[in-house]
Amino acid sequence: MPNQLRIALAGNANVGKSVIFNQLTGLNQIVGNWPGKTVERAEGTLHFKGHTIHIIDLPGIYSLSTFSMEEIVSRDYISIEKPDVIVNVVDASALERNLYFTMQLLELEAPIIVALNQVDFAAKKGLKIDVEKLSKALGVPVVPTVAITGSGIDELLSTVIATVNGEQKRKSLKMRYGREIEKRVQAIEKLASSKLSQLCTVYPTRWIAIKLLERDADVAGKLQNYENGKEVLKFAEKSAGELEKMHGESSPVITTSERYGLATKIANAVTIVETPPRVSLEQKLDAWTTHKFLGYPILAMVLASMFALIFLGGNFISAGLDYVFGIFTAYIESVFLLFLPEIAVNLITDGILAGIVAGITIALPYIVPFYIFLAILEDSGYLPRAAFLMDNLMHKIGLHGKAFIPLILGYGCSVPACIGCRIMETERERFLAAFVVVLIPCAARTVVILGLVGRFVGLHVALALYAFDLILVFILGRIAFKIVPGEPVGLIVEMPSYRRPSFRNIIMKTWSRTRDFVYVAFPIIIVGSLVIVAFDALGVIDYITVAASPLMSDWLGLPPVTSIPLVFGILRKELTLILLQDVLLQQGMVLQDLTSVQMIVFALVTMIYIPCLATIAACKREFGWKRAIAIMTVDIAFALFLGGLAYRFLSLTMLT
Amino acid sequence: MRFRNRRNRRARGAQSNGGVTSLTSLGEGEKGIVTKAMGGFGLVRRLTEMGITPGIEIRVLRKCAFHGPVELEVRGVALALGYGVASKVFVTPLKDEADA
Repeated sequence: MPNQLRIALAGNANVGKSVIFNQLTGLNQIVGNWPGKTVERAEGTLHFKGHTIHIIDLPGIYSLSTFSMEEIVSRDYISIEKPDVIVNVVDASALERNLYFTMQLLELEAPIIVALNQVDFAAKKGLKIDVEKLSKALGVPVVPTVAITGSGIDELLSTVIATVNGEQKRKSLKMRYGREIEKRVQAIEKLASSKLSQLCTVYPTRWIAIKLLERDADVAGKLQNYENGKEVLKFAEKSAGELEKMHGESSPVITTSERYGLATKIANAVTIVETPPRVSLEQKLDAWTTHKFLGYPILAMVLASMFALIFLGGNFISAGLDYVFGIFTAYIESVFLLFLPEIAVNLITDGILAGIVAGITIALPYIVPFYIFLAILEDSGYLPRAAFLMDNLMHKIGLHGKAFIPLILGYGCSVPACIGCRIMETERERFLAAFVVVLIPCAARTVVILGLVGRFVGLHVALALYAFDLILVFILGRIAFKIVPGEPVGLIVEMPSYRRPSFRNIIMKTWSRTRDFVYVAFPIIIVGSLVIVAFDALGVIDYITVAASPLMSDWLGLPPVTSIPLVFGILRKELTLILLQDVLLQQGMVLQDLTSVQMIVFALVTMIYIPCLATIAACKREFGWKRAIAIMTVDIAFALFLGGLAYRFLSLTMLT
Repeated sequence: MRFRNRRNRRARGAQSNGGVTSLTSLGEGEKGIVTKAMGGFGLVRRLTEMGITPGIEIRVLRKCAFHGPVELEVRGVALALGYGVASKVFVTPLKDEADA
């Protein structure tokens, strides 16, 4: 009996795989109520009854064909890495569609256990599922679970162990197709087993035969390495052609229909429709929020209240913390001065302490409320609705509604938003989406906009900056859409039901995101502040200000020292505001000494000029250097260009 | 309302109106039987895998204004299709059985 087990979680998007993963491993894989959020597989380990179990959370997919990268990755993982057990997470409230995926897992002849998740939610819809009957029909163990509460998780693990130990007696279902299809599958199977014996050790022979009949490009490609591959391929293509002629449909449509047929049969047989449900609050909410007219004002209100909360809450907390830390810093300074020379104290207070205090009082108050709001949006299931409403508008920039999801995530942080662009189907769409996503002011840029312009110039001006940014996103997106070659694809997205967001999950999510932010940002903030103090002591700041003076003061109308925060802002965007305060302090100035126009221009340039280092790295990983640099260049050029224009325009209109 | 007709969802072609039409021409709440999805190999396959197979009954839940996306119920799941995609799905409209 092996002590080391490997299990994989597989299933449709948004069925609760990540929730089960978190329950099993105690880790904090980000969960949320929208399809496509797990874009990279997550791994974790747990110990259960003397076993060490490695768990992999595969991305949610609807099929094991080759429509997307995720599907190929998942099916290769299952067939090549051969995990001991695959836990097929199935949404009990959408059994039929989920069983379609189960049919494909069974075809891969993988050892599976079905975790029948969200049984509570199905019950709410008035659906009850006969677990024993389902288990009999599929020939695999079925464990009902409610992942959010953790119910059924222990039983799931026990079943995993029992299955690995060979206590599972049932023979898993082997799906048979209609006569004409079956005849051809078996003929290809026979040919393949004699001609491709090596490939048949990796993948089940029958599965290879079915995929060849479906004209699966990936499997066909694998045959190229075999001497007799061409012969098998030719035979399979001939068979597929015959079938297509008979049915008047392409061969994958024929096999998919058959698989669905069986899934439907099983789902109907095991589902007991109890009481037809009444119109629930969730459904009413759904009707309003996706209403063809009402939906838009609601969407606008949701986004507006998000910014209002961040701004008002942020300002309030920021002012309070500012006061507290002001007293605290003065106290520390006086204590240190008792036994340290003044230069050392300056380094500590202006460098390290000022950096930390600025991070806490300027950045955190705006970021935490945003993370809370984002968590609620994600968990409730509103994001796909927003995608639905925005589909038309997104088509204008060559994308479909789903791109609106990374766009909203972009208001939090550009890095996950950039990676989140993987929910787009093609390489071209992913790039276009990433191009506009990095232009969205992330939480760090919000800190600059709200903390500088919102606080000292006025909220309406800050909101105008946001509006201007959206217009810019639209215009640049449209230009990029015209330049980048290729055809746009249409929207196909599942609309999950609304759920009440769990308080615990929101707190956990906000906490883990805030923690990540502190770990990554604070060291950089402290080092940045120290460097500025050192630069000042060495007189480097004067050189830089002189060198940057033509661009900064003549073109942008900013004090030349502001070039320093802008350069350091590449590390992190909120650093620009914190360092702006630092460099102004070195000049004996405070933030309020800047004119309104200067604040607006500074915020505008910060908002657009370059994604931060982490985002550049994410772009590079997703699209390669060439495209990452293309995005950067366009952003810097536009930021400086628009900054200069804004300076001239605003000087004319605001000050005279 | 959305799931009330689950049991008799597949009363196939019971009250067919005859003519085949695009999914986009169905009104909110109207039902139809899918006859065919047109378009490229990839798109048709994707639609099929999401459950839109020939012969299945679907119901339009919502339509966005100005040729916006269409939300429909298929196999107990709500699915949103962009207008361009929806216009490539052809259906035989069914007369509403009025929650029979």
